[in-house]
Amino acid sequence: MREPMHCGEPERDLRRGPRGGGEYVRSSPYFFRPVKRAFAAGLLLLALLALVVPAPLLAPANPAAPPNPAKSAWFLLWTQEVVSHGNGFAWGIVALSLWFLLMPWLGRHRPERAVWFGEGNRASSWLTLGAFAVIVALTVLAMVFRGENWSLVWPF
Amino acid sequence: MIKEFAKHLFPRVVLRENLRFSYTFCLGGLAFTAFFALIVSGVLLLFYYQPTPDRAFDSILFLESTVVGGKYLRALHRLASHGFLCLMFLHILRVVLTGAFRPPRELTWVVGVGLLGLSVFEAYTGYLLPMDQLAFWATRTGMELLATFPGGGWLRAVLVPDGVGESLSLLRFYALHVVIVPLGIMGLSFLHFYRVRKTKGLLPYL
Repeated sequence: MREPMHCGEPERDLRRGPRGGGEYVRSSPYFFRPVKRAFAAGLLLLALLALVVPAPLLAPANPAAPPNPAKSAWFLLWTQEVVSHGNGFAWGIVALSLWFLLMPWLGRHRPERAVWFGEGNRASSWLTLGAFAVIVALTVLAMVFRGENWSLVWPF
Repeated sequence: MIKEFAKHLFPRVVLRENLRFSYTFCLGGLAFTAFFALIVSGVLLLFYYQPTPDRAFDSILFLESTVVGGKYLRALHRLASHGFLCLMFLHILRVVLTGAFRPPRELTWVVGVGLLGLSVFEAYTGYLLPMDQLAFWATRTGMELLATFPGGGWLRAVLVPDGVGESLSLLRFYALHVVIVPLGIMGLSFLHFYRVRKTKGLLPYL
């Protein structure tokens, strides 16, 4: 095993780091080892789950027999839920997408180091968490609580 | 050679404290792992799938009932697809909550958002291929959704010139799903990894 490597120059930056320490190690093997382990563990988990979660196959496609309600793919259900209240709401989704895309240029915060919920990044963090929570909630709503004619139902 | 190339996609040195699992949860790496599983299982599915409206469903039935491990292969492909999307969403969330999208990493972020968009599109194009009731109506609903967005009507005409599930549309979804979009995801992924290296490290600032 190789010895950890120390780079001279970043010492100044490391003193400013929120957690201190700041020991530099070579990517090979110290970084590649967890990457390989995550890769193996991820593959193994997928391979095992596929044993117990089969892919569904319904009857052949029949354009004359629409289900009620006809639902989109699970990852688009939240957009279906949004536009079911009016096509104009699609612009809200467009605006949300643009906000996400342009987020690096919004605000003046330049973090010294990346930290969870770092100071100066709280507005973006909470807005994003809120958007994710709404997307998940709408997905669950559309997936479970939508019945015939897209009406709200109690499935339990 | 492949090993050396892979090494050059990543930083030469990293901060030891950045290697803690709880810092990134390896979400980006796990998403790429799921993408790798998608490629392998998808290539194997290509040996049986027939992209025509009258043969597609039967080819899936044949795969599941006759081919050894065929049912498992399809389950793995579907599960890897779900995992890929979920991990991409969680990775994006992690990047925002740690502030890692801020300059000088804005290009890495934009490439990442592009990857997310392509990944959703990749999953969508794959949804139709089994040509069962779920596939057909989910895709048709998706096309109706697309038409509600600005420019969506034009895009729908490009994707489904002869109606959802008809021969030309199915062929376009197939070509997009197995060649064009995966190549785009692969290209953007390598660009993403390169940008991570270029901006020195896993998180600001090495």
